[in-house]
Amino acid sequence: MHHTPLPVTGRVTGRGETVASQALELVQYRSLIRNLVAKDLKVRYKNSALGFLWSLLNPLLMMVVFTFVFTQLLNQHIAAFPVFVLTALLPWNWTATAVTAGTASLVDNAPLINKVYFPRILLPMSVVLSTMVNYVLALPALFLMMAIFGRPFTPWIVEIPLIVLIQAIFVTAVVLILAPLNVYFRDTTVLVEVGLLAWFFMTPIFYPVEAVVPHLAAWMYRLNPMAAIVEDYRVILYNGAVPDPLFTGRTGATALVLLAIGWLVFTRLSRNLGENL
Amino acid sequence: MRAGHRRDRMPQPGHPQDDAAVEFRGVSRRFRLHHETRTSFQDWFIALVRPRGKAEEFWALRDVSFVVRRGEALGIVGRNGAGKSTLLKLVSRVLEPTSGDVLIHGRTHAMLELGAGFHPELSGRDNVYLNGSIYGFSRRQMGERFDRIVQFAELERFIDTPVKHYSSGMFMRLGFAIAVHMDPEILVVDEVLAVGDAAFQRKGYEALMDLRARGTTVLFVSHSVEQIRDFCDRAILLQEGRIVDSGPAAEVVDHYLRTMQEQAGEIAILRVRAIDRSGLPLDAVASGADLGLEVLLRVPPGGSTGDLALGLDLHDRAGTHLFGSTAQLPADLPAFDDLDPGTRRVRSVVRGLPLAGGTLTIAATLQRGALGTTEPLDRQETQVDVVGRWTGRERGILRLDHDWEWETEADPSATGPHLEHR
Repeated sequence: MHHTPLPVTGRVTGRGETVASQALELVQYRSLIRNLVAKDLKVRYKNSALGFLWSLLNPLLMMVVFTFVFTQLLNQHIAAFPVFVLTALLPWNWTATAVTAGTASLVDNAPLINKVYFPRILLPMSVVLSTMVNYVLALPALFLMMAIFGRPFTPWIVEIPLIVLIQAIFVTAVVLILAPLNVYFRDTTVLVEVGLLAWFFMTPIFYPVEAVVPHLAAWMYRLNPMAAIVEDYRVILYNGAVPDPLFTGRTGATALVLLAIGWLVFTRLSRNLGENL
Repeated sequence: MRAGHRRDRMPQPGHPQDDAAVEFRGVSRRFRLHHETRTSFQDWFIALVRPRGKAEEFWALRDVSFVVRRGEALGIVGRNGAGKSTLLKLVSRVLEPTSGDVLIHGRTHAMLELGAGFHPELSGRDNVYLNGSIYGFSRRQMGERFDRIVQFAELERFIDTPVKHYSSGMFMRLGFAIAVHMDPEILVVDEVLAVGDAAFQRKGYEALMDLRARGTTVLFVSHSVEQIRDFCDRAILLQEGRIVDSGPAAEVVDHYLRTMQEQAGEIAILRVRAIDRSGLPLDAVASGADLGLEVLLRVPPGGSTGDLALGLDLHDRAGTHLFGSTAQLPADLPAFDDLDPGTRRVRSVVRGLPLAGGTLTIAATLQRGALGTTEPLDRQETQVDVVGRWTGRERGILRLDHDWEWETEADPSATGPHLEHR
């Protein structure tokens, strides 16, 4: 009768105090991660007639709008503008949806948190993962545009999974800080909305980084990891070149440091969730 | 700081309670009262400028120690607010102790609310697997149990229907079926037998007896003292967060009933809670939705509810009295629970709750006598979160159903004023 391997056992005090014990718990709850991601995707695609097509169509429509505004209204000359903007828009959409949904993830699941114990960190994490799946599934649309506009497919494409990993780490870090903050200050959601808009303009999505005043561009990379991540995608997929390994390495290191900070913040702030939700 | 505090209180090795399933060692749990917490940046900035006094504290449990041995069933009795739910939440790890140690030896399953974690858009089948994984069960482990769960819940025909189409009975049957098929070593049961029809209550009770016969350790809270007496070996009596009595269930229950009679002049409010349309308990309600309120009264044998007035009063987080209403109760209220003939149920519905959002405190007061010459008998509170939608265009604590209107020139076919309904 007692064959279940999961030992939800031991002391309540002192739980989850070390990185190792938390990591072990995450391994034990891996089926919950999978199910939460599957639930997110299922629910997202269930209620609209076009379902999954929307996650392809939405960025493509945005691409059309940006292309019209910048090449027709503003008369900018950037070769293959649709590909140029889409290489940045797709990863940006991932970040934006993950940050929005991730910030709300604890508050939205308040009834569950108050009734069942499970590692709370899985809620924001599963949001990052499900939005990542969504992003990866939208990449074929980008490849299609690259083929249509004759952009080169170079072997450097194999580096894309690494950039996706760096972005996933970075987005997780951001969400781990914002989700518990939203429990204590419910208007975090509103500030995040405004913040995302500012962040969108501060990231070279619809303009090339070369258009930024040079000494500010350096600061943009330092203060905004998304700018560096977007630039890596663009170098590989739009320029067909290899990103500077040092540049990518710095971005990755920044993401890891932020993840450590995010984990600390989350562990500290989420201790009394049951009381504050 | 708190972690260090906890390390200081690690239990000393060398005192193993070998057959203990659950052990509390000097456990206390403090809550800061809701109106003192800051949940918006505005509150936070105000607090910076105008430093508040010490936050108001409330100790739900104080220095509680007890041991539940393997295979034992422990009943927990006490009035509302005595700390029963806090104790169960500590066992199920939803809350952490403020000080002291909670030791759990065995896989724990908490039935604090049936169907907690169900997603309305997903089918019953998907929810079984999702719910299983919330409790740490793999897909394969749930697959082994799936047929038994569906059969127990009597939902063979509807298992692929989204649970949002389920009746409340179906919803609870599925939640209960999952819980009893998790083969827990320790089971925490909070009032879940008080809901559902009589047939389901019997079936659920039998399933719990079956688990108990197979050696499961059970911690049991029920408003029905009969169930505690029948089901539990031992019981503890909580009063204002402290254990005031423990021992054989029948004795502790008698003690509890005696204190109840002394304290409340025989008639008392057992519980007040927010419910949805189907009678299920609610933690949160949407702004503009209907809010049901349910009050359970205990009436001793031969007692009458005539001459009694029941008041319901709503306060917001800041303590503003939003609304109150009093009903004169009829003398012949029937018992609502076959298992416990002393209970009466009164329900009220607030239609289209016109509040913008925030935490709502609901107080039920029981009084004897007509208007003017009343004698207060009992008072209980509960809280529910009102979830509003922040549109940026509306302000205030109320959310009123309103229209904006103006004349439009452009549309000659429009004879009346243009209405924008939001």
